[in-house]
Amino acid sequence: MGQGLAGYILRRLLWTVPVIFAISVLVFLLLRLGPLDPIESILGQRYTEEGAERLRAKYGYDRPIHIQYLKYVQNLFQGDLGVSTRHQNFTVAEVVIPKIRVSAGMNVMAMVLIFTLGVPVGVYAAFMRGTFIDPLVIGFWLLIDSIPVLISAVWAPWLFALKLGWVNLSYEGVLHPNIILPVMVMSLPGVAGVARLMRASIIQVETEDYVRTARAKGLRERTVVVSHVVRNALLPMVTVIGLALPGIFAGSLFVELLFGIPGIAREALDAVLAPDFDVVLGLVLFGSILFVLANILIDVAYGFIDPRIRITATRGG
Amino acid sequence: MSNRTLGLMMGAVALLIVAVAVVFVLVLAGGDGDDDDSAAPASEASDRDAAADSGTDDAGADATRDTSREDSRDDSRTASGICGENRLITFGDDPATVFDPIQVGDASTAEYTAEIFGGLVTLDLDLNVVPDIAERWEISEGGRVYTFFLRDDVVFHNGRRVTADDVKYSLERAADPANFSPTVLDYLGDIVGVRDKFNGSASEISGVQVVDEYTLRIELEQPISYFLQQLTYTVAYVVDREQIERDPDGWTRNPNGTGPFRVKVFRPLEEIVLIPNDRYHLGPPKLDEVVFSLSGGSLSTRFENDEIHVAVVPALELAGVLSGESPLSEYYLPVPQLAFSYLGFNVNEPPFDDPLVRQAFAHAINREAINEVLYFDAAIVADGILPPTLPGYSEAVTTYPYDPARAAELLAQSRYAAEMPRIILTFSGSGGDPPDTLQAYQQQWREALGVEVEIEAIEWSAYLRELRRGELQMYAAGWIADYPDPENFVGKLFASDSRLNHGGYSNAQVDALLAEAATLQDQEARYRLYHEAEQLIIDDAPVIPTFWFINHYLVRECVQNWVDPGTIVPKYRYVEIDTSGE
Repeated sequence: MGQGLAGYILRRLLWTVPVIFAISVLVFLLLRLGPLDPIESILGQRYTEEGAERLRAKYGYDRPIHIQYLKYVQNLFQGDLGVSTRHQNFTVAEVVIPKIRVSAGMNVMAMVLIFTLGVPVGVYAAFMRGTFIDPLVIGFWLLIDSIPVLISAVWAPWLFALKLGWVNLSYEGVLHPNIILPVMVMSLPGVAGVARLMRASIIQVETEDYVRTARAKGLRERTVVVSHVVRNALLPMVTVIGLALPGIFAGSLFVELLFGIPGIAREALDAVLAPDFDVVLGLVLFGSILFVLANILIDVAYGFIDPRIRITATRGG
Repeated sequence: MSNRTLGLMMGAVALLIVAVAVVFVLVLAGGDGDDDDSAAPASEASDRDAAADSGTDDAGADATRDTSREDSRDDSRTASGICGENRLITFGDDPATVFDPIQVGDASTAEYTAEIFGGLVTLDLDLNVVPDIAERWEISEGGRVYTFFLRDDVVFHNGRRVTADDVKYSLERAADPANFSPTVLDYLGDIVGVRDKFNGSASEISGVQVVDEYTLRIELEQPISYFLQQLTYTVAYVVDREQIERDPDGWTRNPNGTGPFRVKVFRPLEEIVLIPNDRYHLGPPKLDEVVFSLSGGSLSTRFENDEIHVAVVPALELAGVLSGESPLSEYYLPVPQLAFSYLGFNVNEPPFDDPLVRQAFAHAINREAINEVLYFDAAIVADGILPPTLPGYSEAVTTYPYDPARAAELLAQSRYAAEMPRIILTFSGSGGDPPDTLQAYQQQWREALGVEVEIEAIEWSAYLRELRRGELQMYAAGWIADYPDPENFVGKLFASDSRLNHGGYSNAQVDALLAEAATLQDQEARYRLYHEAEQLIIDDAPVIPTFWFINHYLVRECVQNWVDPGTIVPKYRYVEIDTSGE
């Protein structure tokens, strides 16, 4: 790898610059030329032309649109993401970073839960195929998966808070035990997907030559399963985790709304509706950079797990 | 695959399935699964600060609380859970503006701001104007000049004494064009010089003069009888010049006001915690803390789960709560809003430029039936514009009774009897079905008048924009009092020159009555003029008043003196938690 991989990553990173630029211009235009006016939202019934003009001047919305964009980019390079109009006197960074922390914290917990449940369930189902246990286990998780979050987010508090009294519904921070319920509601439906992918992957790997070779060599069954089958079957999981990474920071709208969690999805929704120009732009830029980086990360991670991909990447890239 | 690995995995999955099954069974069997340790995580939050309270036995409290939740709601009166400490936990909305009195434009921010700051005068819980920083005042020159005598014991939260200079600074700061206050002209625009300062043509407000350290003179352009009411609004609150000059951008995070409370915690979308100002000149608050929860799950579920003292009844449970069938019924507290809802017309556009059409539309709707079916009789059919809890309300004013025959007759006499133009009723909302009430009106107009009304939803700021430009032919709207005076309804919405008069209504007789009432000092005589104007307006029917709404609250019994006065009133200093468990 060495040179080849570094060059590959560099090229990929350079490509992100025009991509991010295009996204920022597009979103900037969509916001400024859209039907929603942040000044009208701020002033509401107290709107007067005079007051609106003053506020437009304060936020710089009265200037030509290309000047506004250049000003935004200039500030961006100085690390200034702008100010929020919805949370007045708060900068975009002040508004967004605490929310990202909350959403990221919850989503990491949810991801860990999904994979620690989904992977063993998938492995188990794969090795039990042909018996009634395989469809039973997968079917059970599909049943959980088929309950919409909108339903479980109403039903779960009733059961676990009111009837059983195990948890409270007040939000007390992302590390407080009260977070367990929303995290469960968020993650349990995801288990089925991971389990089925893992099951299919195991079944496919089982038929590979190297597994037969390993068995033929007389390795212990346990070694064959753990080092050869499961390890190779985990490969597609890297893609799933990688693609889920941006999602971690994007939050989960329904759970955040129904459990009243101050996360990034709720903020994004409100920011779009308000509209809060700089917050929306900041979120979109953050999200797209994350997505691009996650894709690069997947490729690199593949290289570590599977040398074949590394070679192709080096040659082809 | 080794049997051991397989066994382990099998075990884990089986355990999970069994666990879920057990939970299901327990719940279906009546919730017997409630055991002693189950409340441990739940009580952590509320017991955090309880340790200091003598006589609060944590373990005992948990146990009692547990039983109360499951078996009998009556037991919740024991001094446990959230009733075990003098700390009110209530809900709140995220402030839409900052805690800067001159920037406040929304009710939720105003609620917090009113607790943190104070002005010359304030409102009591019965909405009377009472002294705050000013001890007393004299009104001279026919109501044009107000002389305020300030208390000499008023201090900011940091201990600095408040003088007349602070009041003058605060008012001038509100009118400073650099500060873009959206409310200063509405509430203080009648003071001599405020407009000049706001336009940038004067450096100070000529009508506000400091006579001595504790005396302030305010001169008005013309006598305004509701001036003191206007002074109770946040834009007239006193702010600390030293703090603002020291930290012009960040001071609103923890403002140094003169109000009964100060900010302990402010985390947007999470919570706001206020703690008492022990030196508050009108008597310090009784609570140790007020927590406004801006996050968390369903309010009513949390209320039922003993996590919050005050909540609102959700629409779906209202019928059960009203009928007494819901376990929440015993906590129910209805409070009339200081507001009215209405259907407005653009009186310059066909067909509503003919008063007969407007009157016909008013006679054709059956609000009693709508109240019964859609609101479980929990709203009040508006028999006027001014709501019953507003000072100056009159029972004598009446609106149009449901009378489909009379409605059809009026329509037949109108200019549009032969041909009715297309009618669109606009409301602020987002797609989907229009509210049930609007559909009911639509149906009733169709039946009584044979008129087809289309209903259209537009987004809130676009709605306000079209309303402002007079582009809405017919619209569903409401008005909540800014200050408790009839002028705020009858004057602000219907005077020909008011910028909130969106329907283009103009009646010289009404304008004359309003102008006369604005200058009268005799309250009763003033109110009579407003009633006369109110009835004239209703007769002209530029709007159809529909309902006076009621807020449906749930309040724990241990909460004492909690009220909702219906407008911006500092109210939490009266509240107390009864921790005795009686």
